[in-house]
Amino acid sequence: MDRALRARLERRFGERLAGGVRQRHDETEIRVTAADVADTLRALHDEPELDFRMLADLAGVDTGTHMQVVYHLWSATTGDWLRVVADGLDREAPRAPSVTFLWKGAEWMEREAYDMFGIVFEGNRDLRRIYLPDEFRSFPLRKDFHLPDDASRSPGLGVRPMEETLSPRDATPATNLRRSAGS
Amino acid sequence: MTAHTPAGPHPSLDDPSVRIEDILREGIVEAVPVGRTERQAEFYTLRDGEMLLNMGPQHPSTHGVLRVVLKIDGERVVDIDPVLGYLHRGVEKLCENADYHQTICYMDPLEYISSLFCEWAPVMAFEKLLDVRVPRRAEYIRVIATELNRIASHVLTMGFFALDLGGLTPVLYGFIERDEIMEMLASLTGQKLLFNYMRIGGVNGDLNHDFMSRLGDWMSHAAKQVEANAGLLNENEILVRRARGLGVLDADTCLRMAVTGPNIRASGLPFDVRRSHPYSIFPELDFDIPTRNEGDCLARYLLRVDEVKQSLRIIDQCLHQMPDGPVMAKLPRLVRPRPGRAFAAVEGPRGMYAAYVISDGTDQPFRMRIHDPSFVHLQLVALLTPGNLVADTMAIMASLDPVMGGVDK
Amino acid sequence: MALSGDALDPIGGSGAPDEAAVLSVPTTATDVDAPLLVANELWSPADPAAYRPGAQGINEGITHLRELEEAGIGRHDDARWAALEIVPAKADLILDLIRANSLWPLLSGLACCAIEMMSTATSRNDIDRWGMFPFRASPRQADVLIVAGTLTTKMAEPLVRLWEEMPEPKWCVAMGDCTCSGGRYKRSYSTIQGIDRVLPVDVYIPGCPPRPEGLIYGMMKLQKLVVDRRGKWAERRLGPTVPAGL
Repeated sequence: MDRALRARLERRFGERLAGGVRQRHDETEIRVTAADVADTLRALHDEPELDFRMLADLAGVDTGTHMQVVYHLWSATTGDWLRVVADGLDREAPRAPSVTFLWKGAEWMEREAYDMFGIVFEGNRDLRRIYLPDEFRSFPLRKDFHLPDDASRSPGLGVRPMEETLSPRDATPATNLRRSAGS
Repeated sequence: MTAHTPAGPHPSLDDPSVRIEDILREGIVEAVPVGRTERQAEFYTLRDGEMLLNMGPQHPSTHGVLRVVLKIDGERVVDIDPVLGYLHRGVEKLCENADYHQTICYMDPLEYISSLFCEWAPVMAFEKLLDVRVPRRAEYIRVIATELNRIASHVLTMGFFALDLGGLTPVLYGFIERDEIMEMLASLTGQKLLFNYMRIGGVNGDLNHDFMSRLGDWMSHAAKQVEANAGLLNENEILVRRARGLGVLDADTCLRMAVTGPNIRASGLPFDVRRSHPYSIFPELDFDIPTRNEGDCLARYLLRVDEVKQSLRIIDQCLHQMPDGPVMAKLPRLVRPRPGRAFAAVEGPRGMYAAYVISDGTDQPFRMRIHDPSFVHLQLVALLTPGNLVADTMAIMASLDPVMGGVDK
Repeated sequence: MALSGDALDPIGGSGAPDEAAVLSVPTTATDVDAPLLVANELWSPADPAAYRPGAQGINEGITHLRELEEAGIGRHDDARWAALEIVPAKADLILDLIRANSLWPLLSGLACCAIEMMSTATSRNDIDRWGMFPFRASPRQADVLIVAGTLTTKMAEPLVRLWEEMPEPKWCVAMGDCTCSGGRYKRSYSTIQGIDRVLPVDVYIPGCPPRPEGLIYGMMKLQKLVVDRRGKWAERRLGPTVPAGL
């Protein structure tokens, strides 16, 4: 928990931070809007007293009401991880600026966020699906995409026909005979 | 895949009404025309004399199912487009529907060659959310097991490096070491490959006599054995002349590509999470961070040999300093962390392996994000290969050491 | 973005040309002789009709297992017919023994089970004792497809193509829980829950991952299948030209 880092961040970015600087254990978190995040990251990257030159992670988050892009940064000037949250992306059409101008290695991480959430990164030269086939229509990590077997929330509601007769509780001599004769 | 699969014989050859295309396209409603991105347009426009060569998802290299489209001009590679996703298993989504303890077993097959690191980062994040202190003995056991896993992973990488360059023997030597370590870890964890050993607040079981005796036997000749294995290759003229000067990566490019691990240390920047952002008991251990300046494939290979020696040093210190005590903190069976976010990173054999967990106060994680180093490092292949020959593609990829389980999650 | 590596010639070492080297790699386009150009008048890949079944002698529509069955081509045991001319009585048994003891697997390791497969192939659990050492990279030269690792929907199409490209006789082994039934990825949106949904499997080897001893046990069971003429391939009847009674 680096108090000096907190002071530096508040001094530099005070007015655009929503909710101030939060700290817990060895992590410092700041939240900005999607419009501000490109400038914020550029300032964090370029200024020598901040010097956050290493991008540790870029992730998308679907909170159910809106979407976020979360960046984790590391700097040699502090012992904390810095988390920058680009908050308030619209869930239906999420758009965020791309940080590939600072870190070219973020290109694939943004592609993954697009593939999983549908977040469009403006400025990414290669925004296409990376994990799923190109014809796949859904964005799986969104909260409205349910796994087919998710019994509590899917239309199937607890019916798992493949495993029905394999539980010892349900097995009778009749079901066992039927399985071995059929398969 | 759907909730409507009827019970009964599987519809493969037995049911003539089911066609394979229907099964393969079950999640896909209709084909959506995909527009071309800038990079795609640039890549798939062929100039005079250029050719697209597809190194398909199945190929003799040992890194897994990666498809690489090469744009070549004769034997020279002009550009590369790696296509991923052939092993995408949807782990992050599956974790959102599992308990915190159950997510640990989903984490194993990500970097399957070094699965203890894959478990460690999420477990550290959970411990941060729960404010759990791990007993010191558990930390020491974790470090011993993970450093053994690091050695096993590195000897495999060295063997695969030689295999991809055409040498069939060093991988056999690598597997000798690896099989011994795997047997050791099997006597400790119960499993040879996907250990499922770390728990929130400690490890699954204490050290036992079998493990300690195997470890002692192995350590007594390990250093010499590793020297001998490395000596097979270090001065091999073919390997040195093929790997020296190939795929040179400088420090600025590393930072710009978010590279971590042996790849960045071979380029001159001594960034190691164990020293730069210490976790566990690493502040108390005495070890060096090997660094090289050349940044080529040979440097990355030699660096891994050095790291194995440092790992042996760490294991030695841990064995001497091992304290007594419990190996797991007391936790309720159903863990419900406070709502919040936690990020934890460990130094895996391929780079910084990190987990970012968001908890909403229930017994299932709200978002489980895994940052895998191999995913980021594969972008380097597109950066380093152009200008080299087709055969050098494999050399560069082997030196960057990707594991497709982690890349595709 | 200036990289220092792309102008170096890796085979020449650290940049200085080696006069003793037999192979000199041309570094500029002018070093290569003008290639002989032979115009391809037979077909062109841009022509959409080039890959149509039946065009230019390409096999009619053999693209799925079902149509392969109906075409009847897969049921012809060429080796057996040739051997019958030499040893009419024991041809079956000798052929099956030959096949069983030299099953060449295809290098189709997908995920973690591939590491255990490699471990089986290396010195400690040597699968070369049963003749299975050469893991062929090309499906044309392989006998058995050991699917080791999770099969995803994106990979299913290439894998089924590999299976179809393998010449008969061929067998399929499902190694690991993910291939037997989906394993720990049973609820996932992008995996195939059990490869027997897309391939005919002869031997299932459970485990996550199965120990090398487990894989060896499964392969020995496969050898027994081969010798006993059981398994999915042997269910096909023999060719129509074989006389009854043999």
